[in-house]
Amino acid sequence: MFPFKLPPQILRLVLVALAIVGSYFVARSFLTPPTFGQYGWYRGDALQLIASREPVFAGKQSCDECHSDIIHKLEKDAHKTLSCEGCHGVSREHGNNPNILPVKSTGNYCIRCHEANLARPAWLKQIVVKDHYGPKCIECHVPHQPTKTP
Amino acid sequence: MGSAFAGLLTASAARTAKAAVQNVFASTSAPKGYDPTKHKWLMCIDDNKCIGCGLCAETCKKENGVPEGPYFRTWIERYIIPKPKPGSGQTRGEAIVDSPNGGIPKDGAPAFPEPTLPKDQIEHAFFVPKLCNLCENPPCVQVCPVGATFRAPDGAVLIDPKYCIGCAFCVQACPYGARFLNPVTKTAEKCTLCYHRITRGLKPACVEICPAEARIFGDLNNLHADDPIQKFYEKNRVQVLKPHLGTEPRVLYAALDKEVR
Amino acid sequence: MINEATNLVAEALPQVQGYVYPNEANFHPVWSCLIVIYPYITGLVAGAFIMASLVRVFNVKALAPVYRLSMLTALAFLLCATLPLLCHLGHPERCYEIMMTPHLTSPMAIFGFVYAWYLMAVLLLELWFDFRQDFVKWSKTTPGLQGLIYRLLTLGVTDVSEKSVRLDMKMEWILSIVGIPSAFLLHGYVGFIFGSIKANPWWGNVLMPIMFILSAIVSGIALCVFNYIVLTWLRRKTVDMRCLDTMAMFLFYALVVDAVIEGLDVLHRGYAAEEGFAVLQTMIREKLFYTLNVGQVGVGTLLPLVLLGLLQLFRTRVPEATRRVMIFLSGAMILLGVLMMRWNVVMGGQFFSKSFRGVMSYKMEFSGQEGWLLGAVILCLPPIILTVLVKLFLSESDQLRPCEHPQPHVSKA
Repeated sequence: MFPFKLPPQILRLVLVALAIVGSYFVARSFLTPPTFGQYGWYRGDALQLIASREPVFAGKQSCDECHSDIIHKLEKDAHKTLSCEGCHGVSREHGNNPNILPVKSTGNYCIRCHEANLARPAWLKQIVVKDHYGPKCIECHVPHQPTKTP
Repeated sequence: MGSAFAGLLTASAARTAKAAVQNVFASTSAPKGYDPTKHKWLMCIDDNKCIGCGLCAETCKKENGVPEGPYFRTWIERYIIPKPKPGSGQTRGEAIVDSPNGGIPKDGAPAFPEPTLPKDQIEHAFFVPKLCNLCENPPCVQVCPVGATFRAPDGAVLIDPKYCIGCAFCVQACPYGARFLNPVTKTAEKCTLCYHRITRGLKPACVEICPAEARIFGDLNNLHADDPIQKFYEKNRVQVLKPHLGTEPRVLYAALDKEVR
Repeated sequence: MINEATNLVAEALPQVQGYVYPNEANFHPVWSCLIVIYPYITGLVAGAFIMASLVRVFNVKALAPVYRLSMLTALAFLLCATLPLLCHLGHPERCYEIMMTPHLTSPMAIFGFVYAWYLMAVLLLELWFDFRQDFVKWSKTTPGLQGLIYRLLTLGVTDVSEKSVRLDMKMEWILSIVGIPSAFLLHGYVGFIFGSIKANPWWGNVLMPIMFILSAIVSGIALCVFNYIVLTWLRRKTVDMRCLDTMAMFLFYALVVDAVIEGLDVLHRGYAAEEGFAVLQTMIREKLFYTLNVGQVGVGTLLPLVLLGLLQLFRTRVPEATRRVMIFLSGAMILLGVLMMRWNVVMGGQFFSKSFRGVMSYKMEFSGQEGWLLGAVILCLPPIILTVLVKLFLSESDQLRPCEHPQPHVSKA
């Protein structure tokens, strides 16, 4: 059968090696995930898995469905770039069920952006809170229309 | 005949076993109709506009369920460039950088406290938002031993949470400090560009929430004439972080200071 | 719950000087004790094997008494080489993925194959060919379980004719020759795991694999010296001074080359003084002062260099007992110094921020996944395995000497 006869110890080792390599390939066919290599060296399914998370923040468009009057006002003034959920908190549940009210916004949210800080760009209106009048921002300012007074 | 039947039987048993093993990897429902090959996402950061409110970092943690503590998918850095000491011959002083709690305010106190340096000794100061740089040649993907982190066809660099072994090699390889090991899941984690949002046609949470429009997000494959991305390109000289490493980031910054890295 | 957790960990957060990326100010470095031990163990394997190859390939007859001991040392340590890696994983149960879907651009994935190749195709094979005729002999004379183990190890081949033994010798010689580059590859790859990280100036360095290989050779020879002296002491045998002196000589030469290359690396870094050099200076002067300057350079390199160098010069004038003590001390110091070197490389790369603006001080934990305790346990395993291997395969009557082999390649030359 063979042109020459393999010495017994070599033959034994060849058999052992074949068994190891063979079991490697069998294990590989079992344990490689099905969509591995669909787009590249990774599971194609992973894209779906990562995308399947439910969004938490609803986005301004969702608010627009019921509160277009406020958003309309907002759009005309300096706060037009603000997102509703920045001040009112995550409002997904409120969107699904209007009875669950979003977080009541407080003056802390104003200070978050408008407290004076050296690193803030000059175009942003800034105040030093302890030198600034008033216990409540909304006594003098309208958050949805910051250039107007109440 | 008998042996052929036995062969068939073992073959079908093997198939069942294989299906059972591979079922472990089957994934749940995801938004339909999204084709990753039809998009090319990128993010532009207009750092001149950043006001350092920390909403992006805070929102990101909520949106993605990032654990409390030193784990950030995005964060804000503050750079303070002092004036040079008189007679020192320097152009400017040594930059002071901080990012307390990633720029998220804690307990109602401002995130970035007043600098200890007196105002008249400061040349200028500014904020820089940071996130995964969406490299075209991502060093993190290169070193992943199992193919658990990858660059998707749409340009997002993602991690397969079911496949990551948690060796942290990618955390070491990222030049931007954008990765961390999630202490709960024990896998590597990073910005996904809010992949679950962009596949549904929403913007990433940080972009959605930014009150200053400092973050601009877009799709290079579907640009229209008045796209904010297009305007950003026209208006600014764009830069990337650590360009000498050859990572070719897809997060572009407008005119950065040399101290930012 | 979350509050509790944050309070708990708030105490363990590292002290930070300057600015570090927020993700870097973590409770413990992502790679810790276990990753220090991993290159240490792998290096000892590669070094011990190269030590053994001196006998087989370079025909250094004086070292014949330690040939089998160093091969078994390499095996004992190699069996534990992947343990620290495995234990540090976040998901050890997924480790099979490294072999199933190896990402070919990752040094860590390739390591799995290099390791398998080295263990199966080099070390075990060479040991098998070397021990085969003994297995056959012992399986006939030893009763009980031990005899069964020997019988299994013969793999059912009982042919010990002269022709067949000559073939064994030939195979061993071939395997040794294949083994040297394989050992270099094994440990060079470990160096490459660190050397390939361009984000980190402490690691990203073309010299890294070479430094790892050289320090591996040094530590491997030192380990063989250590084991040989300990074993002869335990068995109340006399040390073969010719063998020990030859080992000391090779240890000295290897240490010289290693010290020069590591010095060259420091010189190059200082001269190029690239981005991040300032923070590296802080590392050397402050954070790593004791482990680097005192441990690695002083105790691990200079002292042994002086001791071994003196021995090279005045060998004949130093009495045997003193020589033994000097060589033993040098070996032990080198073993400690190389462990420090691994610490300096692995931990040094994580004590500073990749923003190059700050450094972190961690409190190393005692228990836990990345703690001292587990590291110490893993480090104790190879000596235990080695003890078993020596009990099984190095009988006292063997006098730590391999069977007299004909040298097939010499006759051809």
